Amino acid sequence: MATRVDQLERHAALAVAAAATVGAVKVYGVGDTAVRALDDVTMVFEAGRFTAIMGPSGSGKSTLLHCTAGLDSLTEGKAFIGETDLSTLDDTALTVLRREHVGFVFQAFNLVPTLTAEENITLPLALAGRKGDREWIHEVADTLGLSKRLRHRPSEMSGGEQQRVAVARALATRPQIIFADEPTGNLDSRAGAEVLRFMRQAVDDLAQTIVMVTHDPVAASYADRVVFLADGRIVDEMFDPTAERVLDRMKRFGD
Amino acid sequence: MVKTALRNLLAHRMRLFTTGLAVVLGVAFIAGTLVLTDTITKTFDDLFTDAYADTDAMVRAEASFEDPNGFGDLRGRLDASLVDQVADVEGVAVASGDVWGFAQVVDKDGEPVGNPGAGPPTLGANWPESELNTWTLVDGTAPKGERDVVLDKGVADDAGYTVGDQATVLVRGAPLDVTVTGIARIGGADSPGGATFTMFTTEAAQRYVGEVGKFDSISIAADEGVSQRELVDRLEAVVPAGVEAVTGATVTDESQDAMREGLSFFNTFMLVFALVALLVGGFIIFNTFFITVAQRTRENALLRAIGASRRQVLGAVLLEALGIGLVASALGLVAGIPLAAGLKALLAGFGFPIPAGGVVLATSSAVIAFSAGVIVTLVAALSPSRKAAKVPPVAAMRDVAVGSTGYGSRQRIYVGVAVLAFGVVALLYGLFGDPGNALAIVGLGVLLVFFGVSVLGRTVALPLSRIIGLPLPHLRGISGHLARENAMRNPKRTAITASALMIGVGLVTFITIFAASTKASFSNTVDRAFTGDFVVTAGGGMVGVSPEFTNQVNELPEVETAGGVRAGLAEIDGDSEQLLGVTPEALDIFDVDPVAGSPDDLDATSIAVMEDVADDKGLSIGDPVPVEFTATGTQNMTLALIYDRNPGVENEWLVDTDAFAANYPDQVDVQVFVKKAADVPASVALAAVERVAENYPGTDVLDQSEYKEEQMGVVDQMLGLVYALLALAILIALLGIGNTLALSIVERTRELGVLRAVGMTRAQLRSTIRWESVIIAVQGALLGLVIGVFFGWALVTALQDEGLNTFTVPILSLVVVVVLAALAGIVAAVLPARRAAKLDVLRAVVTE
Repeated sequence: MATRVDQLERHAALAVAAAATVGAVKVYGVGDTAVRALDDVTMVFEAGRFTAIMGPSGSGKSTLLHCTAGLDSLTEGKAFIGETDLSTLDDTALTVLRREHVGFVFQAFNLVPTLTAEENITLPLALAGRKGDREWIHEVADTLGLSKRLRHRPSEMSGGEQQRVAVARALATRPQIIFADEPTGNLDSRAGAEVLRFMRQAVDDLAQTIVMVTHDPVAASYADRVVFLADGRIVDEMFDPTAERVLDRMKRFGD
Repeated sequence: MVKTALRNLLAHRMRLFTTGLAVVLGVAFIAGTLVLTDTITKTFDDLFTDAYADTDAMVRAEASFEDPNGFGDLRGRLDASLVDQVADVEGVAVASGDVWGFAQVVDKDGEPVGNPGAGPPTLGANWPESELNTWTLVDGTAPKGERDVVLDKGVADDAGYTVGDQATVLVRGAPLDVTVTGIARIGGADSPGGATFTMFTTEAAQRYVGEVGKFDSISIAADEGVSQRELVDRLEAVVPAGVEAVTGATVTDESQDAMREGLSFFNTFMLVFALVALLVGGFIIFNTFFITVAQRTRENALLRAIGASRRQVLGAVLLEALGIGLVASALGLVAGIPLAAGLKALLAGFGFPIPAGGVVLATSSAVIAFSAGVIVTLVAALSPSRKAAKVPPVAAMRDVAVGSTGYGSRQRIYVGVAVLAFGVVALLYGLFGDPGNALAIVGLGVLLVFFGVSVLGRTVALPLSRIIGLPLPHLRGISGHLARENAMRNPKRTAITASALMIGVGLVTFITIFAASTKASFSNTVDRAFTGDFVVTAGGGMVGVSPEFTNQVNELPEVETAGGVRAGLAEIDGDSEQLLGVTPEALDIFDVDPVAGSPDDLDATSIAVMEDVADDKGLSIGDPVPVEFTATGTQNMTLALIYDRNPGVENEWLVDTDAFAANYPDQVDVQVFVKKAADVPASVALAAVERVAENYPGTDVLDQSEYKEEQMGVVDQMLGLVYALLALAILIALLGIGNTLALSIVERTRELGVLRAVGMTRAQLRSTIRWESVIIAVQGALLGLVIGVFFGWALVTALQDEGLNTFTVPILSLVVVVVLAALAGIVAAVLPARRAAKLDVLRAVVTE
């Protein structure tokens, strides 16, 4: 184990990891009913890149995302955000880390219904008791086409708009890394494409790092790199993917 | 459907627990009160049965009038010669004269034992030298000499006296030195019902506590084979006019009934608080069902989709309520028994000792408490059940937004306003309109006002939450902001939850204002009327001191004037009343503020009345007023004075001491007003009066402010008791707040997950829930405050004629009430906040 950490540290120094897992194992349940959702996954999410995680249902892709993002804990192995080992943090420190250094976009129910779009966007800042960079936030809102919707509540917005607010919130703190869990899963293709375009733009123009779990080859095609998971292990990866190539690779999981 | 309902109950044990607890507490309170009353009733029933076990008949004066305090009829005394006359009647085995009066044992430290003003009586009597004596001597012998007494074992133990001891007994307000020759028990009790007994020889009893040559009644035992009825018929034939003979059974029944009647006020008083607690519990049940029915919309829709009829869905929800009602009421009934002991201790703690042992719960009481719980639960669940039944089957397919009700339709506002208006009218009519059943009408008014405000609460909850929460975002940042938004997001829920607390706070506010106004009014009256320096009271102003004391004080060179006030009962112009006997000296010191006539015109055959009574009865100076006394029968007195300021607390009639002496056998001053000589310092005069008072155990010499405090002590006593009794209703309301928060948290799981994911710490989450709770609590408190101030104003205004001349709103106390409510809100949120903070972030985010 020790040697692998050394290896990773060397690797990380070279690749500038925004997040990483080393020998990540996640077991649900005990005894006969135990399920190994993650089985020795070592993986680096490079800074400034858009990574997609794909795999069939039950492959462990969401588990990998949750454990790397500090929403869930590993059974064995380690997860890092930047240089911070998540297993060394208590709940409060982990919460603060998420607030300061991590952005989230979930599939649905991303927003707090009692807050306006603007309040939702600045929520992590408000939780930290900070005002944040107003100019930056307005720039993000402008870019995402939300300037006119800032005073609206989630119930007054379309699904696409709601997801764009979620993206804006993820960008607001300029986090080290953004995790997106099926961000377009609940959207029609047009709205979905819009959200993905903005995510791509955030990586290209704003040098953001994004890790996205998806089962949609079209969504995956927006990424720089696609990692394929099956049965809790990394089975393949693909750089500069296109929707067709991803689809072809996915089809082979059926074999 | 029965299965579904049962399964629902078991699946939500936590909710079952909190909802049920509200009912359990309410029912326990009712059961506890009834257990207490049943126990007291049983204690006295047994006592009277024992006491009159051997009495086959009794001869006594016919009833003059009823005791205004509700303890039976008052009667005059009989000539002692009647005993021999009665003994000669055929079939009479024994005839024994009874003497009853007041005597209070003074303990070895010089303190009188017992407080007849608030607790059981302290009695003096004759030791019956016949087989009609139901006492059993446990030590010593019967009294022989004039200063010999037998004490009941209870008071002997309390005062520390044993046989052969020299003791002091207060009779007619003066100490009497006696020798304890015996100690006795009755019917297995040391001290019957907590009353104390000092028993003299018959002659001594007549001299010290009764009247020489008189008996209060004659107890009779029949010869073998003579029935009580026969005996009474024969006695009736010989007794003179104005005297009656009754069977022993009648005497027992009357005594028991009088006790029950006396207790009925206490019973009603306690039950009012129990019902308030249950009402608050009803609000909580309503709210819980209302929320859970909304949360289970999809589940009920599914039931409808697969073929359940509306009636079946309605039935299932009602069945669930019935289950909660039955279980909780049963638990409440059981909890009522220890609660009765708690209530007894509580009452004793506030200076109202209850003489009863054991635990008795009559079947009827159990049925009342149990059904009250079940009915309240069912009624509260009715409207939510109907709402559940209205869910269309298609809702199963939709993602129904949970808990997004409107701000209250226009129709609802009309209903709320109408109910409120009706309540206010009923309240005011009950207070000012002088209807026959004022209490019931006022009660209905109060209830409707509470309901009306709670209906309107849904409309005002939104702006009110917004205003109350205004400082929160600034104080607590995003946590405060979210707390405020959460309190505003479902105004109906916030309103009902707040309403439960509103009831308790409303009543607390009302009683606080009423007490403060009563004190301020009394203080006002004393300030304006009392020109003296000291007031001497004896036994808390209830027992009295011998006029000999007053004379001694009057003769002190340090004292300019001392004047006593006596109190007795009489039937005046058809009503049982307390009548004061006032010396001219007392009227010099206490300015009653004559409106018509003059205090100087008061003599042995004239009477004075408070202005409002004179107005009510249309009396003017010179009018005849018939007054019936137990000792002297009906006297036609002349109205000589109409006055505005009452030298006592509750009485509205007074006479001169000459008239008092002419009509009452006992002369005892209950208060003595003292004015010091002008050139003597107050401390010197006080010391002089106190030296005299030392010889009269139980007397207190008070300056003006001490006097106010002492006279109003009973107000504080009552206030403390009422607070304690309302505490349960407030506790239940707090449970309700906790319950609502817990249910809301279940609804908001996903949202809380998002908040936690994007960086809300557990502490911030707890803070959000805590402050939402505070907003709800403060909202309830503010609504309660407004209602309470209105109730207080209405009652004080209605009682203006009764001497309540000052309406006071104790601002500081009311601020304290709101602050306490806010703190209580924090406490109520502890458990739900802890549960919310423990939420697994991930599970909450991905919860489908």
